[in-house]
Amino acid sequence: MAQSFASVSSAVRRSPQMPDHNFRYWIIAPSVFLLLLIGLFPLIYAFVVSFQQITMTDYDTSFAGLVNYQALFSDQRLWESILHTIVITVIALPVELILGLALAYLFLEKMYGKQIFISLIVLPTVISPIVSGATWRLLFDQRYGPINQVLSWIAGREVVMLWTIEPILVYPAILICEIWQWTPFMFLILLAALSNVDKSLTEAAELDGAGFWRIFLKIELPAIWPVMAIAILIRGVDLFRIFDMVWALTGGGPGTYTETISIYTYVQGFRQFETSYTAAIAFLIVALMSFVVTWAIRRMGLAK
Amino acid sequence: MSDVKISGLHKHFGAVHVLKGIDLEIPTGEFTVLVGPSGCGKSTLLRTIAGLEEVEQGEITISGQRMNDVRPRDRNIAMVFQNYALYPYLNVFENIAFGLRARKMPESEIKERVTSAAEMLGITGLLERFPRQLSGGQRQRVAIGRAIVRKAQLFLFDEPLSNLDAQLRDEMRGEIKKLHQTIDVTMIYVTHDQIEAMTLADRIVLMREGRIEQVGAPLDLYERPATHFVAGFLGSPKINFVHGEVLISGSEQVLRLVDGETISLPAIASTWPKNIILGIRPQYLGLASESRSPDDVRFSRIIDLIQPTGSRTYITVKLGGRDLVAEIESTSRGNVGDVLDLSFNRLNALFFDPATGRAL
Repeated sequence: MAQSFASVSSAVRRSPQMPDHNFRYWIIAPSVFLLLLIGLFPLIYAFVVSFQQITMTDYDTSFAGLVNYQALFSDQRLWESILHTIVITVIALPVELILGLALAYLFLEKMYGKQIFISLIVLPTVISPIVSGATWRLLFDQRYGPINQVLSWIAGREVVMLWTIEPILVYPAILICEIWQWTPFMFLILLAALSNVDKSLTEAAELDGAGFWRIFLKIELPAIWPVMAIAILIRGVDLFRIFDMVWALTGGGPGTYTETISIYTYVQGFRQFETSYTAAIAFLIVALMSFVVTWAIRRMGLAK
Repeated sequence: MSDVKISGLHKHFGAVHVLKGIDLEIPTGEFTVLVGPSGCGKSTLLRTIAGLEEVEQGEITISGQRMNDVRPRDRNIAMVFQNYALYPYLNVFENIAFGLRARKMPESEIKERVTSAAEMLGITGLLERFPRQLSGGQRQRVAIGRAIVRKAQLFLFDEPLSNLDAQLRDEMRGEIKKLHQTIDVTMIYVTHDQIEAMTLADRIVLMREGRIEQVGAPLDLYERPATHFVAGFLGSPKINFVHGEVLISGSEQVLRLVDGETISLPAIASTWPKNIILGIRPQYLGLASESRSPDDVRFSRIIDLIQPTGSRTYITVKLGGRDLVAEIESTSRGNVGDVLDLSFNRLNALFFDPATGRAL
C-alpha cells in the first residue's frame, strides 16, 4: 500500500506535464515587485533625497553631501522632540505594563460576567487614537470639559485647570489619554499569557510555602516573559512613533512643548516642506530605532 | 506526625455535587489510599485537605487544629502532583530547595537537606539539570525529593504514577512504600488503580460518586466487601457476578441461577430477598477435584475463551447467561470448545442484595 503511494507520487513528480521548479518564483514575482515598488523604492528614493537640498521653493537635486545630516546635530528643536518622545515612552510604558498586569491578575479569578467586563475594558483600544485624542481634548476643556467640572464638585469650588495649555498639566493629560487607551492591550496579552501558566506549578509553590512575590518572580514571570517581552517591544515602538493622539490633543503645543519626533518630522516635511532635511530626520529615526530594537531583542532573549 | 479528621465535608463545582458528606479519620503515620473510579471525588478530597479547594461545608482538622481557613502554605503539607509540577525555570537543586528558600532557611542547612534527599533518591548526579532534561522516572524522584526535604507533617500524592510506563510504575510503587517505612509520616495517596491501592495502603478508602463506600485494610475490603460495588472494584481479574433467585423447599434453601443451575445456600438465606446476586472471585473458581466437599458447587461448561498470563490462565465460560472467569493452573487449561468441569466452595461466595447493593 505504502509502496504504491510512493511510486504514484514519484511518478507525478517526474511527469512531463509539470512545469519546472522556477515556476513558483514566477507566480510570486508580481506581488514581490509590487512590494518592492511601494516599500523599497520610497526608502531608497528618500535616502537619495536626504543628500539633496529640496525645499518648497527650491527644487535643487544636486548632490549636497552631508549638509542635511550635519544640520541635525545643531537642531535644538529636533533633540527636544526626541526628549519629549522619550519622556512619554519611559513613563507610559511601565505604567501600562504594571496596570495591565494588575488587571490581568484580577481577571484570573473566577467571577460573574467576566467576558462582558473584559470586552468593556478592551473598548478604548478599538477607538482610533485621533478620535480618542480629540475626545479627551473635549473632556479636558477648561470651560466645558467634564473633568474640570467633576474636580470642581470634589473641591467644592470652581477649579480651572488648563490641561492642554499649561506646561505642567499638558504631559499628565497626554499620559492619561495614552495610558487609558493602551493599558487594555497589555492587559489582554498578559491575561492570555497568565492563564496559560500551568496551574499545578503555582499550587505546588503555594504548598511549598511561597508567597505572592516569590511565585510571581520565580514561576509566573519566567513563564510569561516571552509574551511579555513582545508586548513591551510592540508598545515601546508604538510609543516612540506616537503622533495622532498628541496631535489631536495638544497639536504639539503649547509652543513646541509636547512636540514628539513624529510630529516634528511631519511639521518639517508637510508644513515647512523642508523635504531633503525631513528625509535626513527620517533616516536618523530609522537608524536610532533599528539600533534600539535590535538591542532590545537581544537583551530580552527573543532571538534565541 | 499528625492525624487528619474530616467531618461532614461537602463540595460543589457549579451544579455538580462532588463531595456529598465525607466523614473520615486518618490516624498518625498511616498510609491511606483514596481509590475509586474517575469522577468519584477522590482528587477533590485530597485537594481540599491540601487547601487548594475551599471547604464549603464541614470541617477538616490536622493534628487537632481546624484547617478550614488556614492557607495552603501554612498547613505544613507536602504534595506530589500527577504531572510532577516541577518548576521549569529552576534546576533540580533549586526545585528541591524551593520550599526551604521560601521558608528562609539558612543556606548551609538547605544544602545539607537537599544533598541528603538527593542521595536517598539516587539523583545526586542530576542536581544541575533542568526538568526538561529528565526522564519521567527522574522527574518523579525530584518531585518526591521536593516533598521530603520539607519534613512536612502530611504527605499527599495525587496519582503520582499514572504518567509512568508499567515497569517504572512498579519500581516507583515499591520506592514510595519504602519511603513511607523510612520517614514514617502520615501519607494520603490518590489513585484509580486498584492494584496500587492494594499494594501500598495500610488502609483503603474506597469512594464512589462523592461518598465513601467502604474504609478498611486492603485484604478486609477484598475478602469482605460491604457492597456489590466494592467487590467489583477490587481484584483482578474482576469478580464474577451471577443473578439468581432464592427458592425455599422444605428445610433447604437453594439459589436457582437464570440458566437453571441450582446452588444450595446456608440457613440464613431464609431472611434474604427473593432475587440476589452471587459473587465469586476467579481464583476461587477452579477445576472440579476428585475429593468432593459438601460445600462444593459443581457445573460443566464449554470453554469460550482462554487467556494465558504465565503460571495462571483465565478461562471464560457462560453461567447464568453471563461470562464467568475462572483462574486455573496453566498446565490444565484445555482448548476452546472443550467441556470443563468447574467447581467453587460456596463458603467463598459472596451474596449481594441487587436493590441496595449491600452484602448479605
